[in-house]
Amino acid sequence: MKLLIYISWRNIWRHPARSGVLVVAIIAGMWSGILVSGLSNGMIDQRFNNLIEESMTHVQVHHPDYMVEREPNMYIPNPDKLIEFLSNMSQIRSFTARTLASGMIQSPQTSSGVQIQGIRADWERNTTTFYENMTEGDFLSDETRNALIMGEKLADKLDMSVGNRVVLTFQRADHELTSAAFNIVGLFKTSSVQFDEQQVFVRSVDLSKLIADKIVYHEFAIMLHDADSSSSVAGRINNEFPGVTSETWYQISPELRYIADFGNSITFYVMLVIMLALAFGILNTMLMAIFERMRELGMLIAVGMSKIRIFVMIMLESMMLTFAGAVGGMLMGYLSINWMGQKGLDLAGMAGDSMNEFGYDTVIYPVISSQDFISIVILVIATVLLSAVYPSFKALKIKPSDVVRE
Amino acid sequence: MAIIKTEHLSKVYNPDTIPVHALRDVTLEFEKGEFTTVRGPSGSGKTTLLNMIGGLDEPTSGSVEIDGVMITGMKEKDLIDFRLNHIGFVFQAYNLIPVFTAYENVSFIMLLQKCSKKEMKERAEELLTAVGLKQKFDSRPKELSGGEQQRVAVARALASRPKFILADEPTANLDTESAMNLLDMMEKMNREEHVTFIFSTHDQRVIDRARRVITMVDGAIHKDEKRE
Repeated sequence: MKLLIYISWRNIWRHPARSGVLVVAIIAGMWSGILVSGLSNGMIDQRFNNLIEESMTHVQVHHPDYMVEREPNMYIPNPDKLIEFLSNMSQIRSFTARTLASGMIQSPQTSSGVQIQGIRADWERNTTTFYENMTEGDFLSDETRNALIMGEKLADKLDMSVGNRVVLTFQRADHELTSAAFNIVGLFKTSSVQFDEQQVFVRSVDLSKLIADKIVYHEFAIMLHDADSSSSVAGRINNEFPGVTSETWYQISPELRYIADFGNSITFYVMLVIMLALAFGILNTMLMAIFERMRELGMLIAVGMSKIRIFVMIMLESMMLTFAGAVGGMLMGYLSINWMGQKGLDLAGMAGDSMNEFGYDTVIYPVISSQDFISIVILVIATVLLSAVYPSFKALKIKPSDVVRE
Repeated sequence: MAIIKTEHLSKVYNPDTIPVHALRDVTLEFEKGEFTTVRGPSGSGKTTLLNMIGGLDEPTSGSVEIDGVMITGMKEKDLIDFRLNHIGFVFQAYNLIPVFTAYENVSFIMLLQKCSKKEMKERAEELLTAVGLKQKFDSRPKELSGGEQQRVAVARALASRPKFILADEPTANLDTESAMNLLDMMEKMNREEHVTFIFSTHDQRVIDRARRVITMVDGAIHKDEKRE
């Protein structure tokens, strides 16, 4: 084997330019593949984090009919018991409670339909990262009454700014309409334009008193230590509290799971195209190498080199060429992902606001896992083996008596 | 005792379309220590005969026996092993491995034979010295002249300690001086070490040196003369 490795290594540098071009092509292919994979992962992770970490959380609890009918009187019965239960569950990292309403927001200039979220500021801060999206003013606090925060987009639309007053109109639990004035204390900007235009946040205590004259919650949002335990936590809550419905993030937002699958598919197809190009590159180079070495290979068989050794030698040549490139490509990919993972890749100039329209950040931080790397290595090995088999078999067909005199 | 025996050897190419009779009923014996030339015009069957003897091609009929072993009908894998350990080849176009040095080209055969490093080194140095290339151990083929490359090829052929060497037109690509030097060297090995050489050639310089000359015409033995 040492002999074969030695010969193969020397053989691949017989034409340094040709081998070099293939190695560079492999480096470029691997690098771009890893980059695309990293960007796709990064986009999906960010989208996932934006939704889960910023507002949706891993598990949500509602009145059994709330998600369909969204009636203000469908609040969670006996929230104190639920709070006590959730506080004692070891799988739960933190949770928050929300009072929800659909209504109108009015400024002196115009009005707009909005979803009103009444939050407990301290709980929300502990549970979600939404407060990190504040761009102006302050996040809600437990002390300031009738305070409101809204998206920059909505503020622009209403021609409002921090310090102005707006009026919220919505339905009470008894189905009567009610209105109240709120002071804008802060503006936020998320990666979703739609969210920014449609959501306003007030204190839960202010909103629930207007809805039901007492503290009521329509939603409990729960963050877990491990997203994989979503199903079991939701199941336990459902068992313990038959009067509520607890759902996992992927039951609430199935599209989020499709996005992850879609991202994986994109990565797979991109890698497939790269591997196909790689396979044809290897095939072409190795066939050329064999055709121009027919006489030499014939001589090797004539003087006593077994065909299995010839086969292994050609396979080794293909593998060495590929691995020289693959290692370089992976190294470049790893370094690029590391660098971009810190700096981010700003696609605002290229994609404008269209990415925000779909809820994606314009600055992407590529991510690649060790598993992705292992998958790429396996893919490369499989590609090399498959593409080198034909040239190697071609070499086996050589009849020394036909070629040594040519 | 004969080390090579061919019995009624025939080879027909394209038997189903336009048959070409490359060999016709060739029966020959070669003794150890011979310095034999197979001569004849192009297409007379010289190379085909050497290919049959070297186990590089299968006869249509007849058989080849080497040192008591019937190589006709042998499995390909066994035949390759047999060639490695019993037959040396020298080709017209040298066919050295271009990425190897002269030393590596010679020792490579012994690596295939799984010789020890020490034995390999000693034998490769001895052979390269014997063919007059003591100063060129580390030269690659492209750094050697045609004559020098063919000397490396002879050293390579001898490296496996074969029973005989088959040399197909070994001087065809060489100038007169290189050809004469090569022949001197091979003749010396034949006389001093009793290495058996069988040449296929129409080079008169080789024919003049041979102690046995087999003339082939149209695939058949036309004349088989021995000289003192």
